[in-house]
Amino acid sequence: MSDKILISAEDLAAGYEKPLIEHICFQLREGEIMSLIGPNGSGKSTILKTLCGFLRKHAGTVFIEENNEADISDSERARKIAVLLTERLRPDMMTCREVVETGRYPYTGRFGLLSGSDKAAVDEAVELVQMQDFADCDFSRVSDGQRQRVMLARAICQEPRILILDEPTSYLDIYHKIAFLEILKKLAAQKKPAVLVSMHELDMAEKISDYTVCVKNGEIFKSGKPEEIFRSDVICELFGISRELYTEYFS
Amino acid sequence: MNDRRTIKYFSMKKLTEGKPRTFIAFSVLGIIALAVLIMNIFTGSAGIPISKAIAILLAGDRTDAAYASILLRIRIPRAVAALLLGGALALSGYLLQTFFHNPIAGPFVLGVSSGAKLTVAFVMILVIGRHNSVSSAVMILAAFAGSMITLGVVLMISRKIKRMSMLVVCGVMIGYICSAITDFAVTFADNSDIVNLHNWSMGTFSGTTGENVLVMTAVVVPAGICTFLLSKPISAYRLGEGYAQSMGVNVRLLRIGLILLSGLLAACVTAFAGPVSFVGIAVPHIARVIFRTSKPIVMIPACFLGGSIFCMLCDMAARTAFAPAEMSISTVTAIFGAPVVIAVMIGRRKGEL
Repeated sequence: MSDKILISAEDLAAGYEKPLIEHICFQLREGEIMSLIGPNGSGKSTILKTLCGFLRKHAGTVFIEENNEADISDSERARKIAVLLTERLRPDMMTCREVVETGRYPYTGRFGLLSGSDKAAVDEAVELVQMQDFADCDFSRVSDGQRQRVMLARAICQEPRILILDEPTSYLDIYHKIAFLEILKKLAAQKKPAVLVSMHELDMAEKISDYTVCVKNGEIFKSGKPEEIFRSDVICELFGISRELYTEYFS
Repeated sequence: MNDRRTIKYFSMKKLTEGKPRTFIAFSVLGIIALAVLIMNIFTGSAGIPISKAIAILLAGDRTDAAYASILLRIRIPRAVAALLLGGALALSGYLLQTFFHNPIAGPFVLGVSSGAKLTVAFVMILVIGRHNSVSSAVMILAAFAGSMITLGVVLMISRKIKRMSMLVVCGVMIGYICSAITDFAVTFADNSDIVNLHNWSMGTFSGTTGENVLVMTAVVVPAGICTFLLSKPISAYRLGEGYAQSMGVNVRLLRIGLILLSGLLAACVTAFAGPVSFVGIAVPHIARVIFRTSKPIVMIPACFLGGSIFCMLCDMAARTAFAPAEMSISTVTAIFGAPVVIAVMIGRRKGEL
């Protein structure tokens, strides 16, 4: 296991106008997957958006490969961090492959034309998520599950060191959830990016995470290894479910 | 994990057929544009014999001063104006559609053209009263101010309203308000030049002078080049602001650029030809269908070329269909453009507008 720390946060405070979540601390090494779980509206997306640089930090520091994130230019950040967001846009007349190709943006020249190495990176990403069969289909006409794979391939061919995914599996059926997470695990093992992923599927989060952060009411409720987190007492308190209901639905 | 469900997608029609399609489409459009331009110059109510026209244009024959004057001072400026302004309108529409992520946005439906018309009308009434004429540059500045003000209002509304169709409805209403105020001002202005103003406020390419053409070239060509230079960030912006930002695009700057360029292009059209409807909405869709792509690097020149052809054809119809009477250009562009908009709305997936 490599020991290089790719991203770390120290006493980070995230929020829109006002800080919503404070005292966020974590560090993530190559190939590690960190999951964020917690109720709707608890602030998972806010944390991820702040790490992406979409929202300004209210306090604290984020380090990306030893560099202070505040000192990194937009284009350099784009080569380090790739994202998969919850916003669902359906661009007209774009093939799935064209969507993937946009991931090469930080590497192409003035007019965004793809070089041979760019095309190779796209091909590799297409293969990794196994979307060869529908690569040339219209992006707005493929299924949700396929669309998420395309968006993942887009992020992969951006060749990021850090991959940030905001609820990537939320509206997929169980088959596509599993398919997606399998690809994610394979990616983490092969390319060794640090992966931050928020999700609602606790059973699946437990399986894929190296580290889990629980967010509740604007604070980090608890964080640690999956075996410390995915226990009935922690989960019940995190989501405010009674013990009886937990037993009824999860056991 | 192997995904067997994808098999059915083999039968789906593949979108891209690669570069040959783009090349052939551009060649064909280029030839059509040239042909229509020539037709526009050679047809008209004056009935100049073609041999005579060729002699005037190519051999510099000036023996028939009246014919030479019609060709050089009326028809050529008018045809070139339709070419440039048509392209500008289509580009403006493309930029607005990109900006609002809204397939039925355009300078006319968002009220931008009418807003520009309003300020130009006021400036004309004020200035003509004292000086008898208004320079092209002042007209463009007035139109630009008007288009920026209306775009500002539309932007404020778009923060409150998330539904694309409602935004367009608001834009149409703003357009009506501006048109009403313009009509009011025109009705009560006491000047013989108001007859011209009335024609202009309906939309027409007639009366374009050589000087006008120079000024519009000086605006449209640089604005077109700037738009083309933005094709890379626009390409990323197609996926939405979040993704664009994550790829290193300065989204704020890009948005400002899109608004300024689309406003300037629409303003230039309004200053010279009055409000021209539906070209801005319809042409980008036609271009997308012809080229089967939405890549900005293809779409931007394609929209310009398409808009040129569309406007030149419509202008030819406007002046020859009931010659010597002329229709307003918007009458013709609406007949051919509005059905495209309806087709787009029907073709959208449910709940998207």
